Amino acid sequence: MKAGGIAVPLEEAHAEFIQGGVSVIVATRDAEHVADAIRGCGCRVSRDRRRVVVLVDRIRAGTLVANVTANGQIAVVFSQPSTHRTIQLKGTDASVVRPKASDRALVASHREEWIDELCRIGYSREFAAAFWGRLPETLVAIAFTPSAAFQQTPGPAAGQPLRD
Amino acid sequence: MSLSLNSLRACLEGAVPAVIATCARDGTPNVSYISEVHYVDSGHVALSFQFFSKTRQNVLENPRATVVVAHPETGSQYRLAVRYLRTEDSGPLFDCMKAKLAGIASHSGMTGVFRLRGSDVYRVESVEEVPGTRSTLPASEPVGLADVRGALARLSGACDLGALLDGLLDELQCGFGVRHSMVLMLDPARGTLYSVASRGYAESGVGAEVRPGEGLIGAAALARIPIRISHATSEFGYGRAMREDARRHGVADVDAEIPFPGLPESQSQIAVPILAGERLLGVLFAESPQTARFGYDEEDAFAALASHVGAIASLLGEDDEPPSESARIPGATSPGGATLSVRHYAENDSVFVGEDYLIKGVAGAILWRLLRRHADEGRSDHTNRELRLDPAIRLPDLSENLEARLILLARRLEERCPSLRIEKTGRGRFRFHVLRPVALQEIPR
Repeated sequence: MKAGGIAVPLEEAHAEFIQGGVSVIVATRDAEHVADAIRGCGCRVSRDRRRVVVLVDRIRAGTLVANVTANGQIAVVFSQPSTHRTIQLKGTDASVVRPKASDRALVASHREEWIDELCRIGYSREFAAAFWGRLPETLVAIAFTPSAAFQQTPGPAAGQPLRD
Repeated sequence: MSLSLNSLRACLEGAVPAVIATCARDGTPNVSYISEVHYVDSGHVALSFQFFSKTRQNVLENPRATVVVAHPETGSQYRLAVRYLRTEDSGPLFDCMKAKLAGIASHSGMTGVFRLRGSDVYRVESVEEVPGTRSTLPASEPVGLADVRGALARLSGACDLGALLDGLLDELQCGFGVRHSMVLMLDPARGTLYSVASRGYAESGVGAEVRPGEGLIGAAALARIPIRISHATSEFGYGRAMREDARRHGVADVDAEIPFPGLPESQSQIAVPILAGERLLGVLFAESPQTARFGYDEEDAFAALASHVGAIASLLGEDDEPPSESARIPGATSPGGATLSVRHYAENDSVFVGEDYLIKGVAGAILWRLLRRHADEGRSDHTNRELRLDPAIRLPDLSENLEARLILLARRLEERCPSLRIEKTGRGRFRFHVLRPVALQEIPR
């Protein structure tokens, strides 16, 4: 992220938040500037907290790969269902990368944590599981450098740049 | 292949947050949660414009966007390609969205926060299932048109307003499984609504009042459109809100008011205006402890029933039977038992039996008239026409108003003072039974 024009790493707390049992929604856009949104199934942050990788089920990926390959533009919203705490990261250098061997386990644990989150706010486990869906057979991994971050928790500060 | 938006209305209930992806002029995408995608018609949806947001800024620059919604029962997800068309800040759509927000806001005590600036209307250009999200969970059965038709046919047979309104609540219960419901009628002079029939509450609450614009019922009455809440939290409890409101208006008031009978654990609520043409007759209200109990289908069905009831109610009111000679024959007998002391306050026509509040307003004036006639002239048979023409009752000039007051009065007496009873003896006429000696006391203004 940029603070005073210099890219800085994500705050530790933010990095922890986006790697938890949060909803991950990935938006990209095509050459005609039409944006699309796809539900992700997990996220990991590099050790230096400068790179973020979002994971998506290939079956659901739709236009994502083509869009990212064509223009690198990405916006990802991370939201915790039980608190509505929401942040959005944006990047301009998104690219498709090879998933790691450990990503399958990461996705499986994201599924469990997210389902627990939904149960905590009154959804049935059955519904939460159906909503998240089956564990993906093939993963798509998109890596990007967050260049802007916004706080989007509903309320007066929604849309403001995230303060470090 | 594009699916029909009509088949996805369950996804547009706000039960599961939807998301919208937009793109700025410079090509930067944005994604945001939206609390509710409002169904407008088979080709359009509307989003509420409450705050200036990045999403809004983007669609004003670049109208093409993608909305992803989820089915609240199955979890299946759908992608809507949409195009922003315009923002409406008046008219039926805006009123409906505003009333819905107002209904929610008045329950949560956040009227200012929920101000609707506009309804952003989008054309839905295509609808598709998100691949890999088809679920095996069952969706609930849609409301059947055959059930609606059957209910309409049975309601057509109602012989008077009381039977019609009871029939409406019975149809809701038997045909649609609605266990908690009530009908409130409009008092056109004061603008308030008063309950005349209910089902499923420990106390019937007949006579309980709702002020215009107050809560879901008042908002639906004011805007004359159905309003639903699918996920009320416990703090939205209608009964509690009403009681607290009454308390704020002074404790004395609470004693002279009939408590609103709402469910303490209400999660879903729907209020549907009962209209006769353009004229508001009352409101049909239903609630449930279950979340998302009333959807677009129920709204359609209840609106059809309410519209039918409104038309029949206005037809029923048109022809009172002319008073026959027999109706004028005094029928009073001398009752036995302990004397009932009845006080009437001329100021607001409130009537107390012993120390207990019974009724006020027009219904109170009618009761006092009946008691006086009984005491002074020994009369117990009455006609609606005679009451309507009675200057002491000051009744608005519409027949179903009187009929609704008589239903209210008869039910309050049944619940609170069975020694006084109203018995219908024919179309537009009734007998007032006084089963104990009565001592009347008038408290002048």
